[in-house]
Amino acid sequence: MLLPILGIGQIKSASLQASGLTCSMCSNSIYKSLKTISFIEEVDSDVETSTFNIKFKTNQEVDLDALQKAVEKAGFSVASLKFVMNVNNLKVQNQQKTEIGDKTFYFVNIKDKVLDGDVEFRIVDKDFISPKEFKKLKSRLEPSGDKRIYNVTF
Amino acid sequence: MIFIFGSKVEAQELYVFTEPASNIPANLLSARLMSSFYKEKFESGTNIHFMPEVRYGISSKLMVQAQAYISNRETGYVSEGGGIYAQYKFLNNDEVKKHFRMAAYGRMSYNNSDIHQEEIETVGHNSGFEGGIIATQLLHKVALSSSLSFEQAMNNSSYEFPDEWSSSAMNYTFSVGKLMLPKKYTSYDQTNFNLMLEFLGQRLNENGKSYLDIAPSVQFIIKSRARIDLGYRHELYSEMLRTAPNGFVVRFEYNFYNVL
Repeated sequence: MLLPILGIGQIKSASLQASGLTCSMCSNSIYKSLKTISFIEEVDSDVETSTFNIKFKTNQEVDLDALQKAVEKAGFSVASLKFVMNVNNLKVQNQQKTEIGDKTFYFVNIKDKVLDGDVEFRIVDKDFISPKEFKKLKSRLEPSGDKRIYNVTF
Repeated sequence: MIFIFGSKVEAQELYVFTEPASNIPANLLSARLMSSFYKEKFESGTNIHFMPEVRYGISSKLMVQAQAYISNRETGYVSEGGGIYAQYKFLNNDEVKKHFRMAAYGRMSYNNSDIHQEEIETVGHNSGFEGGIIATQLLHKVALSSSLSFEQAMNNSSYEFPDEWSSSAMNYTFSVGKLMLPKKYTSYDQTNFNLMLEFLGQRLNENGKSYLDIAPSVQFIIKSRARIDLGYRHELYSEMLRTAPNGFVVRFEYNFYNVL
């Protein structure tokens, strides 16, 4: 059976905080923009904190860059994007590339450890964090070549 | 003048008499109807304008707008022309609940009504064009915005622009808006209530004549997609001929998301 492998690398949910807004009309335009993405099952928004809790459809590829683009199209920016992914006895090391599912991740500012089950990661790529934080981290990040490399931390 | 009538984006910066540097979202179609009721200074009655308008977000940086001008200046209500407007956001610094943005804009207008005042207004009065820049700062519940523009009037169809008047002007505006209600957000269905205060000035380039207006307004945002504005504009001083400087503005707006 393929089942034990299927769930690995599956991104289940995400929590996205947007920046550049306070009012509900702006928050609504981000909500509407996220709702157009086909692999999203459900979006629950907290207007007060500009945070969107997103549930993804199961067994569908999740394109994390599409979330950032949707926020940008609405006229705003991503302040933080955390996502929950299922992993199975995965050893991760600081400043090392790791393949999970069909994606490549590069771990930044972490202690080496073994991960198991649903784990929350935070993307620290440009346009996924504040420009200030990006400036601080930039020298430690791995640039994407032909294949997209997601720089992540916990 | 600069009356690029308000827009979307941050409610407290959806000014009634000016535009913020923030654009409407990509793929959003916004329909508006603006009505203005200005008291005639030299005759009895009210100068009423209706300006239906559509705007569309081509990308997050570029939006375009088309507007028609209808007024009762002649006998009954007649269509006097229209205008097109484009705004490009060239600077965007976002932080949580804050932003600083800058945009450049341009407008071209056609109008066939008689030219009856020295004030230059390419929205609804003069044929001509306008170009300018806007800077907007959002700080939590308060938004500040300022703009500077150059405006050129031309002949209105068969009516020639008078030689003895200045055909170009500089416009400057300062706007502040504050989100008053709700105190705390719980859903998109809450009605937002905003207060705004704007200062609108013009200086004619060829003779240095100027005016300055003050314009307070209230605004309601319904279900995070419709908007109602009520504004009042009052002349603080003027050195130029203006036929109806004081009056009210009412605007309705409805936004259609993801239209294409």
